[in-house]
Amino acid sequence: MKMGIICVAFIGPQNNPIYLRSMDPATDDQYLKLHYIVHCALDAVEEKVLLKRGPGDSQDAYLGLLYPTEDYRVYGYLTNTHVKIILLLDDEAPIKDEAVLRVLRRLHSLYVDTTSNPFHKFGLPITSPRFDAQLEQIVALYPRPGASLGGFTT
Amino acid sequence: MSGLQPLPSPAAVVKKPARRCAEVCLEFLCAESVRLFHEKQSGPAAAAALEAVGFRVGQQLAERYTRDKSRLGDTLEIIKFVCKEFWQALFKKQVDNLKTNHRGVYVLQDNGFRWLQRLSVPAAGSDPAREEAARQVALSYLHLPCGVVRGALCHLGVSCTVEADPKHLPSCTFTVRILA
Repeated sequence: MKMGIICVAFIGPQNNPIYLRSMDPATDDQYLKLHYIVHCALDAVEEKVLLKRGPGDSQDAYLGLLYPTEDYRVYGYLTNTHVKIILLLDDEAPIKDEAVLRVLRRLHSLYVDTTSNPFHKFGLPITSPRFDAQLEQIVALYPRPGASLGGFTT
Repeated sequence: MSGLQPLPSPAAVVKKPARRCAEVCLEFLCAESVRLFHEKQSGPAAAAALEAVGFRVGQQLAERYTRDKSRLGDTLEIIKFVCKEFWQALFKKQVDNLKTNHRGVYVLQDNGFRWLQRLSVPAAGSDPAREEAARQVALSYLHLPCGVVRGALCHLGVSCTVEADPKHLPSCTFTVRILA
């Protein structure tokens, strides 16, 4: 069954993994593979950022499709604080950029709220159950292939 | 404060008003934290501790205030962001003057620094000893905001030191030195 979002990862400014979560039970034991794909995505992120340096290019956080692998498509998002949010999708249908962007924006908001916790330590992985739960809710908003597209508000 | 609410059904969309807090609470908190830290520790240690608190807060505020902003490019853009949007959000006004020697030193001048507004100022022309004492008191209140500015800048990728100089209260300059 095609799932949509397979994996969500947050990488810190020193390219340190802050959070990596498989959303698909089928890939639960493939964390090494997911880490590898996300790690390769970091190079693609740097490339995209360099390419966008020209005048008149939009300097958004959303980087769009970074690269396709054989199983997944990898999407990237770079915040001003150099945190990268990487999404792995296995949706074979044409991907709607706006849907991915909405998910990434909400993930960014979640990250900002989580780091605002006075007990949060930058650089260390996020281990909050509340973060896990809210992340699942956000991922559930991404339209699954075959599901209806009703009720999606930004 | 929870990050996200689950989507409510369309019929029951009630927008919760943004939570607000009286500014005096922040003023009291800052004043009390300065007093507390200086009571528990001697001068430089208290200063370092306050600066460290400010540093963490600055990092977190940088995350929040840059969330919806398009990507900041070089160091100058980041400093300008701090002078404008960051200062506005934190101190209710923008920095009044920004100077640089183009060699990694930036001087931010605020002619009415909000966190010093409550300090009593010796009358102009009073003897220098009183003015110096007032200046020292002001310096002890500036460790926290210096930490906030340094935390924000470092978190945005600009590694630096931040020093404050309360020239003529309540006007204050902040000197940012970029570390190589």
